[in-house]
Amino acid sequence: MALSLRDSVDLVSDPRNLDTSVEEVFHLMLGVNCTRYSGPPEAGEPESVTAVVGFGGLLSGACVFRSGSSAAMKIAAHMTGMEFEEVDDTVKDGIGEICNMLAGAWKGKVPQLAANCGLSIPAVITGRDYNLHVQAPEFKLYHRYKFDGAGFEVTIICDGLQ
Amino acid sequence: MSEVRTLIVDDSSVMRKIVERSLRQAGLDSLVVFEAGSGIDGLEVLKAEHVDLILSDINMPSMDGLEFLRQIRALNLAAGVPVVMITTESSEEHVKQAILAGAQGYIRKPFTPEQVKERVLPLLRTV
Repeated sequence: MALSLRDSVDLVSDPRNLDTSVEEVFHLMLGVNCTRYSGPPEAGEPESVTAVVGFGGLLSGACVFRSGSSAAMKIAAHMTGMEFEEVDDTVKDGIGEICNMLAGAWKGKVPQLAANCGLSIPAVITGRDYNLHVQAPEFKLYHRYKFDGAGFEVTIICDGLQ
Repeated sequence: MSEVRTLIVDDSSVMRKIVERSLRQAGLDSLVVFEAGSGIDGLEVLKAEHVDLILSDINMPSMDGLEFLRQIRALNLAAGVPVVMITTESSEEHVKQAILAGAQGYIRKPFTPEQVKERVLPLLRTV
């Protein structure tokens, strides 16, 4: 019988899996605690950093991490022990790796997904005033978090489920 | 412990630094680190340098970690040197593939320095 995730949509799209994954990655790799918040979006910085890791296999879609440049530099500083004054290649590398670990941790919460869903190499985008739009996804999780006063958002987009 | 010559293969320079820091925190003060950003670069290091330990990511462009491992064995490089995979891929199938390709250890990202210590130090004692 062919493997399918169709009967496990509730498990795959369980929002708690994303929260647990974010807490785990930030606690283990940065040594900080994250809290999810759900109030209105704060006025963001004009420059933002976005990392995308694609999913392929039983589930297709992407894990998208997005933050302002100051939060991105703060995350990279925690990872490396260095200080940053601009979003340089090391900051982009660190944010890409955070997104990679979030994607891996998230899919690892569902055993069928862990074994049958591959991850792409992270892509990192920097710029101002851009939006991410996906046409009619199967499901989408969009959560915002804070640590040490710095905010970021993580989106899981599923545009195909076998 | 005497000098431990270690090859760290990961396409992320930040992750290579984190792995190195974790090894030092595990007590490997006399670490000599060689870095490579892909499996292809890792093979070049192994052709030129003797190492005691290899830590490699799996998901990398150009040549992934599993192919890197197969090439090490096929080219008879680093014979007897323990290889530990450090990766976001955590399923039993991925662990099985890594072991079949010749890895002695497996660490899932994200990880703690304690996990690196637990998985790596016993392998060095057997060298």
